[in-house]
Amino acid sequence: MLNPAAGPFLFDTSAESWLGRAERSEALRWMRGYLLHYEIHISAVTVMERVRGYSLLWRRAEGSKRERIDAARVAYLTNLGRVVPLDGAIAVVAGEIMALVPEPPTPPRRSHQLLESRQERLARWRFDELIAATALVARMPLIHNNASDFEAIRSAIEGAPERFPGLGPLELIRCTSLV
Amino acid sequence: MSRKAHFPSPLKKRRTTLTLPTESLTEAHRIARRRKVNLSTVIAEALNEGLRLQTAAERGAEVLERYKKAFSGFSDEEISILDGVILEPAVRP
Repeated sequence: MLNPAAGPFLFDTSAESWLGRAERSEALRWMRGYLLHYEIHISAVTVMERVRGYSLLWRRAEGSKRERIDAARVAYLTNLGRVVPLDGAIAVVAGEIMALVPEPPTPPRRSHQLLESRQERLARWRFDELIAATALVARMPLIHNNASDFEAIRSAIEGAPERFPGLGPLELIRCTSLV
Repeated sequence: MSRKAHFPSPLKKRRTTLTLPTESLTEAHRIARRRKVNLSTVIAEALNEGLRLQTAAERGAEVLERYKKAFSGFSDEEISILDGVILEPAVRP
């Protein structure tokens, strides 16, 4: 098991919610151990994705469900740990990553009768690239729950070290491996 | 530059009397001798670290409780949306 004191780590959007919803005692123990030493570090991109998500759910809902979504949103926003802002260095690195891997490595998500549009898939891919760039510039291992996307970015960076002088490798930790 | 800027004032201290478990006190004495510092230093450091951990544990419990509120009661599809995966009904050709 990864030593929680070995952080801080940057939490990807889906890893944050996976760990935030954890009911397995090993995951909770890991989170408690991590929080003894560090705040939860996330990218500003994660805050954007999350708030957009709450807002979309709110628009689709009615009545008391809206109130519940608002309460969840407030709970999330009052819980923000360390938000790593986007800055010039991250923009430069993200631009390099986007040029290296312009297309997402996997097709849009599908679930029963639901489908992710190509535009949404591309936007999500760009957000993942921004989060990977944030981890790289902040020199923090990235805890994720999306191996196919982040492994593609890691491989691309490893294959073009001259485009990332003084940075890398991108360290990845799958959140399911924490328990 | 002023002298004060070079030498920040030490932490305020106050004398007190405590009753401690014999075993802990013996261990603290042993550490103090080994590090060549006085007993108060060792006890103060241990107390500081214990208080830091206690505060961090309380803050951590609050964080986990708020995460629970932020993510509970949503379906898998809704969690996907909160994670930035926007799924729409598929249009049949």
